[in-house]
Amino acid sequence: MDVHSRLESVFRDVFDDDGLQIHAAMSAPDIEAWDSLAHINLMMRIEDTFGVHFTNAELGGFANVGELERFLAERSTAGA
Amino acid sequence: VIVVDSGPGVRRDLVAEADALRAGGDAVGALGLYTAAAAEYENPPAALCVKLARIYHRLGSLADAHQWVMRVVDGGDDFVSWQAAAAVLGACADESWSAARHARVAVLGSYTTTQFVPLLQLAARRVGVALDTYECAYGQYRQEILDPASSLYRFGPDFIVLMVHERELDLPAISETPDQEIERELARWTTLWDVAAQHSTARVVQCLFAPPSVEPLGHLAARLTGSRQHMLHALNLRLGDAAGNRVSVVDCARLASRVGLEHWFDARYWHLAKHAVAPAMQPLLARHTAAVLAAELGLTRKCLVLDLDNTLWGGVVGEDGAGGVQIGGTAVGEAFADFQQTLLDYKRKGLLLAICSKNNLADAREPFETRPDMRLSLGDFACFVADWRPKAEQVNDVAHQLDLGLDSLVFVDDNPAERELIRQSLPEVEVLTLPDEPAQFSVALAEHPLLETRALTAEDAQRAGQYAARARILASREAATSLDAFHRSLEMEAVVAPFTDADLPRIAQLISKSNQFNLTTRRHSVQRLEEFRQDPHCVHFSLRLRDRFTDHGLVSVLIALQRGTALDIDTWLMSCRVIGRTVEAAMFGELCHAAERRGCDRIDGTYIRSSKNGMVADLFERFGFERARGGDEAVVRWEYDLSDHGSIASPFIQTGSAVDMNDGRS
Repeated sequence: MDVHSRLESVFRDVFDDDGLQIHAAMSAPDIEAWDSLAHINLMMRIEDTFGVHFTNAELGGFANVGELERFLAERSTAGA
Repeated sequence: VIVVDSGPGVRRDLVAEADALRAGGDAVGALGLYTAAAAEYENPPAALCVKLARIYHRLGSLADAHQWVMRVVDGGDDFVSWQAAAAVLGACADESWSAARHARVAVLGSYTTTQFVPLLQLAARRVGVALDTYECAYGQYRQEILDPASSLYRFGPDFIVLMVHERELDLPAISETPDQEIERELARWTTLWDVAAQHSTARVVQCLFAPPSVEPLGHLAARLTGSRQHMLHALNLRLGDAAGNRVSVVDCARLASRVGLEHWFDARYWHLAKHAVAPAMQPLLARHTAAVLAAELGLTRKCLVLDLDNTLWGGVVGEDGAGGVQIGGTAVGEAFADFQQTLLDYKRKGLLLAICSKNNLADAREPFETRPDMRLSLGDFACFVADWRPKAEQVNDVAHQLDLGLDSLVFVDDNPAERELIRQSLPEVEVLTLPDEPAQFSVALAEHPLLETRALTAEDAQRAGQYAARARILASREAATSLDAFHRSLEMEAVVAPFTDADLPRIAQLISKSNQFNLTTRRHSVQRLEEFRQDPHCVHFSLRLRDRFTDHGLVSVLIALQRGTALDIDTWLMSCRVIGRTVEAAMFGELCHAAERRGCDRIDGTYIRSSKNGMVADLFERFGFERARGGDEAVVRWEYDLSDHGSIASPFIQTGSAVDMNDGRS
């Protein structure tokens, strides 16, 4: 699976929504349940799934899904 | 972290296939595949259990959903899966899922506990306790305990859990007078216990303090009685002494050292969201807190029902003979001897030990009589069943002989098939999932949530009740315990200033994020804020707060617009870090001054209800505002007549202005 699909399945799992489709411009205000609590769940699940470790700045810092995807594409080491 | 998989590895393919079916709308098909995947494990991973819980919940099979929610807890300390399971549990709050006990638990934190509370509910369910929970606003534990009229006491808790962390302690890096520092901190906490006992019947559960992983004094800290590290260890010991039988503790220092201080505290989550315990470690903390609650509620299991071959010794006595089984001597034999020693310690703290073995009785007894390295002896067992009946019958026999219910037993057997049989045929019996490695048996036992001990003797346990009663009739130590005294002791200072370029990013951040103390929840853009600054009819200011311990930084923001001789509050919010510090009174005082300087005689306020700002619904009323005509329950308008009421100020906060206020320019 590519980064996009893997990330999408993480989103679907965390937000418990099988119909959720992510896109590059998407950010927290676009998903009703994406509050600061859900954000922590999301970031932790992404760390596990992609085998990455976010820095302090990165944990709160991605502007949107596109930026996150680019980061994961560059840094991801875990196999699908 | 104890996860034992008896299965042959992760069946990702099956799970991925099931995910695809589910996404395509075939819930029943997905359920079949998830179930097949789960069948590969004795304790399926938490993430898989959640998928099953969610799908059963969606299909309306709530009993099955409940079962899988419970299994999440045994499926590993996976924070995100636990959160998801807790959400399913919450969604079924109205279901009559049976629980052995109900308890009202107030969680009072010095750090963010919002995500911990659902985990605690989940972990408590696992040990048979249904919780009603109350959570204080961020960092409000002292105010809530000291104020007899607080919502804490209105909640009527059975337990008050003090989820506090070491940064909360007023201990300097080095002290000339460490004993005094320790006494003062000890008194601060025990006073809270006493006050809680005066105002409620709740049992206090105090978290001890995990030390920080960074020690600037290095190894020198260990040699200096005045080092913070030294004082912190001493304080933990003193708190434990003082707790005695009247207060329960959760020994976070031990939990943290077990997992490693660097894992226990993750600075990233402290900076991001003020989590003093790393989210990944919160399931562990929840399990242990639930275990302490379960012990207080009398749910601790009374008897360990033990297998013999490959559980208490290596090998099979019926084949290897009493002289051939491994106990002591070899590496494997030492591991079994060590486990026996652990069991002996459990017996000493009050658990009964029983044997339940498929062996000839004489064979089963012989190693105890002939092998000198055996730590346990026949006299240690309350009951010794060895015959060829099925294990379920033997376990029933043990319960009968000891006159115990099946719900008093924990079954300990190295054979996964026997464990599965007991799980299915005697569901009341707790079954310990023993790892394959005998050297880890003791760890598995230590992690079982229903083997926590409340007190060593019945008298000790009874004394606990007496302590609570005595504490309640203690005269109130007025000077040390009142909320006023607490506020004064903080030596709070505030600086109020109109919006500046330098502050604008922080102001914009508060405006975009504050939910709880936010009267109107208007999310103004930075550009809009610039417009306010240019508008001569606008009063805008922020407040910085510092106290004896901390500089809290910029924590509150207010924007009001002048309309004739009235100032209309457009935005008023405060960071939840400083709720309960009377900052709101200081802010309102500043607004009154600004209104007076502008010649206004009235202040108008608006409360716009959101899903999260219930805590300020009565704020205007508390300051003496009167409800204005118009509006409805969702948007309530308020008026404050300055000529009638005059201005208000916080008696506890010294307020100064950094710059001239931006008023009188109209």
